[in-house]
Amino acid sequence: MRAAWGRYRGNRSAVWAAVGLGALILFCLAAPPLSPYDPYAVDFSQKLETPTPRHLLGTDLFGRDLLERMALGGRTTMFIALMATGIILVLGLLYGAVSGLAGRKVDDLMMRIVDGLFAIPRLPWVLIVLVLIGANGSIFTVILALSLFSWMTTARLVRSQILALKQNDFVRAARALGARRHHIFLRHLVPNTFGVLLVAVLLELPGIILGEAFVSVLGLGINAPAATWGNIAQDGLSRNNPYFLILPSAAIALLAVAVNFIADGLQDAFDPRREGASQAAGWSPLTGFVRTSGRVGPRSEAV
Amino acid sequence: MTAFVIRRLLWTIPLILVVMLVTFALMRGIGGSPFRLEFGGVPYALQLRFERYYGLDDPWFVEFWNYVRHVSTFDFGPSLTNRYVTVDQVIKERFPVSLALSGLAAAWAVPLGVGLGLVAALARNTRVDRVATVIATIILVVPVFLFSDLAATHLVNKWHLVPPGWESWKARIVPPLPLGLAPAGYIARLMRAAVVETLEQDYVRTARAKGLYSDRIVWRHVVPNSLVPFLSAAVPTLALLVTGAFFVESAFGIPGAAQYYLTATLNRDYPMVMGLTVALAVLVIFANLIADFVAVLLDRRLVEKQVA
Repeated sequence: MRAAWGRYRGNRSAVWAAVGLGALILFCLAAPPLSPYDPYAVDFSQKLETPTPRHLLGTDLFGRDLLERMALGGRTTMFIALMATGIILVLGLLYGAVSGLAGRKVDDLMMRIVDGLFAIPRLPWVLIVLVLIGANGSIFTVILALSLFSWMTTARLVRSQILALKQNDFVRAARALGARRHHIFLRHLVPNTFGVLLVAVLLELPGIILGEAFVSVLGLGINAPAATWGNIAQDGLSRNNPYFLILPSAAIALLAVAVNFIADGLQDAFDPRREGASQAAGWSPLTGFVRTSGRVGPRSEAV
Repeated sequence: MTAFVIRRLLWTIPLILVVMLVTFALMRGIGGSPFRLEFGGVPYALQLRFERYYGLDDPWFVEFWNYVRHVSTFDFGPSLTNRYVTVDQVIKERFPVSLALSGLAAAWAVPLGVGLGLVAALARNTRVDRVATVIATIILVVPVFLFSDLAATHLVNKWHLVPPGWESWKARIVPPLPLGLAPAGYIARLMRAAVVETLEQDYVRTARAKGLYSDRIVWRHVVPNSLVPFLSAAVPTLALLVTGAFFVESAFGIPGAAQYYLTATLNRDYPMVMGLTVALAVLVIFANLIADFVAVLLDRRLVEKQVA
């Protein structure tokens, strides 16, 4: 563990990414309580102000302070991302574990289903789910839509990890000693997938963050007065104001890059052999793992 | 090899069925009937007759079977919101437009990405590498709607570099560019990683030791050998293209499938959404398949891995 930490610290871009992510989170948490402005109060006399010391990022169409709305938007976006990745983790862990533990036939069937689900990129799935549950603009609708068909990568990772673990001596020993299945599963298998899960979370995050923005820009996101980065971008798009488009885009890009580099650093830290070599073997930046070893099959991932 | 191709071809059938089943389940899960009174429907007796007529009173598996049967003969059914249009017509008219857009985007993305990745890898750990990697990362993570909006408002509407729309060949130069940027960044990063790995291989060192020119080493040894991991991992770019199409088509007013998909979704035109989804899945599955076949042609060892 300490060695891993040392390796992580030796990775300059990963350290900077962690610092950047920390700064962004701090900004989102600290700016609203410190700001003197009401993020929802409409004041047309102050609309579309350019950045001044009073409004560091200027104001939006309704005279609301943009700095504060960016911070609030960041909160919403991060909340959505965390909740959605939470759901993804649970679904992925369950599905992957069942698939890995069940016999060959069930496993094959379950993995073919995953392959099938992978045939549709994320955004169309999100749109379909939004239709299904009715795009009523609530935050939980969006969370559900973003997570319901995004667990497949996690499930694959968990499954392959469990398949590998099952062959391990300590699992065989536990079985030989007469341990029950659920005991082996909960005590030996699940804890050992945490490393994989950590990486899976970080890999899913950028996609979810972008997904929220995409859905909002398409007009299916969280309803208007709420601030999200996607909503701010949608303002910019519908009123043809590039400033409102660039600001959230930059924030999204910053967050995505930071998370990506952190995931990369963590992977190197936990598995020093990986460095470089396995990057070529299919580490896909931002969008997740692409397994090129083993069976050649439909893979896909999506932002 | 033939057995491999046949097996993979056969596998596509259950995959497509899974997609159809899931979309079908979702659509059916919404419940309701298009003929209910609260939606301005018809009297109850007529409702029942309509439902009987359209087979909506059958159990779900009969309904699904009917759908599969019709789709397998390329009959995706009518649109619910536009009575003069069938789903087949939309697929026939709209998909080629989106395909052309994606193809042209790839025409931007591949040279851009391969070039950027190659430059970065050959100059690895220098300032050139860092600049190229930063550029690749930025075009990968900046949301596509920013690039497509900027390109549409400035290049087309303000500076009139190219005509708007999608009619002439000139008009088709600019819209694919913002769509191709994210894939280009993705390709660049993959290419860099693959080339860096290839450069460390023994045969490259041998070639260098033999005194071959470095240009020749790059083009004869490094690039061809970097293509396999590049190819099989480049498929996710397809997802980037599909996602991007939603924004690029609306920014430039291109009458493609993505825009229609969004409209159909908002209008709850279920047969349309299902039909377009299934068509998209078929496209993605076959694109995957082709990438796999090409990868196998380049590196026959992959077949054995597959069989094992």
